[in-house]
Amino acid sequence: MQSPASQARAPFPGVFAIAFFAALPMRAEAHMTAPGMGDFISGVLHPWMTPTHLIILLALGLWLGQHVPLRLALPLKVFVPVSALALALTTCHWIVVVPPPILVAIAFAAATIVALDARLPGSAAAVLLGAAGLAIGLDSGVETGTPFTIFKTLLGTWVSLGIGLVNIGYYVSLATERKKKWVDIGVRVAASWIVAISLMMLAFALRKAHAG
Amino acid sequence: MPPKNALLFRRLILLSLLLLLPVTVHAHAEKGTIGGFVSGFMHPLTGWDHIAAMVAVGLWGAYLGAPAMWLLPVIFPVVMSFGGALGVLGVPMPGVEVGIALSGVALGLMVAFAARPPLWVAAVLVGVFAIFHGHAHGKEMPISANAMTYAVGFVIATGLLHLSGIALGLLVKWPWGRVMVRATGVAIAGVGCLFLFGFMQ
Repeated sequence: MQSPASQARAPFPGVFAIAFFAALPMRAEAHMTAPGMGDFISGVLHPWMTPTHLIILLALGLWLGQHVPLRLALPLKVFVPVSALALALTTCHWIVVVPPPILVAIAFAAATIVALDARLPGSAAAVLLGAAGLAIGLDSGVETGTPFTIFKTLLGTWVSLGIGLVNIGYYVSLATERKKKWVDIGVRVAASWIVAISLMMLAFALRKAHAG
Repeated sequence: MPPKNALLFRRLILLSLLLLLPVTVHAHAEKGTIGGFVSGFMHPLTGWDHIAAMVAVGLWGAYLGAPAMWLLPVIFPVVMSFGGALGVLGVPMPGVEVGIALSGVALGLMVAFAARPPLWVAAVLVGVFAIFHGHAHGKEMPISANAMTYAVGFVIATGLLHLSGIALGLLVKWPWGRVMVRATGVAIAGVGCLFLFGFMQ
């Protein structure tokens, strides 16, 4: 007869069932596709699938949430309208391929501010947010499609940029408002990783430019 | 069957089932977005000299306590990426391998002797060695790899190694833990010596 202790330690039969089903062969996926995905959703996903846009959003989100209370007035007054303007400009044959080093440099600047735990004056913060909105917006143009599908895609990107940035800032501030030292340092460590990644990217871009 | 054997038997079956998990087939390596990340992530993990030094940074930081525990892992990736940039740009740096091996020796000895220099000394020491590690990562970056995801991979792997070191270093709260951490420092210095004198490559 099993002792109560050994019964308690015995793996639950459900675990076997999960392991068994996990061991079943899966379908091979040759391509990552999203069949049936709407234009709006494609636009929503665009900033999160573009690494250079993603690191800018992460760096800006860390910056917004680093110092509590969370202040969203500037992003809403600068980043959101400027990104809307830039996205709109892409429909007027203003399809601009923003050089990746510019996008990376914006992420580098924002992440450096966080890593140094520095505070920016309002004007400098507005310039940083404006540059980020402009660069990401101009880099998110849609080249093909009907005007309506392009509109839906750009609308998705715009909504995603605004809500995404505010969300990252909000969640970071939820952590930092607990006034725990390790959270503050964790935010700075994350920013230092973005600084490191950006610096490497800039060097790679420079090498590419030299190589012709 | 006795209860203990039954339990062991069940666990063996469970383990066997988990080993049957389907794995991804990689037709190509080190290419594209995912290849770049995997390649970058694996780079610091495939050399004992890198692993030893990164873990030593975390260990030493934990031994020194706050703020060094957190400051060193902030300084290291930033300075390392500077070295990485030099490597990517092809700027020659003499004695990179020696510098990496020496980092294991020096940082391992710092942990082994429980050295407590001023914070700026620790920061400079770690920063200087970080340049050598970064240069190696940058120089050995595969041409076909996605630069961004390669950088993301190797920075995350480096950070996780630091965190492993910090986690291990937190054992210093207990007397037996202190002995263990200092013994790990000796082992790291030993690994560094093996690389320094060419017994490991």
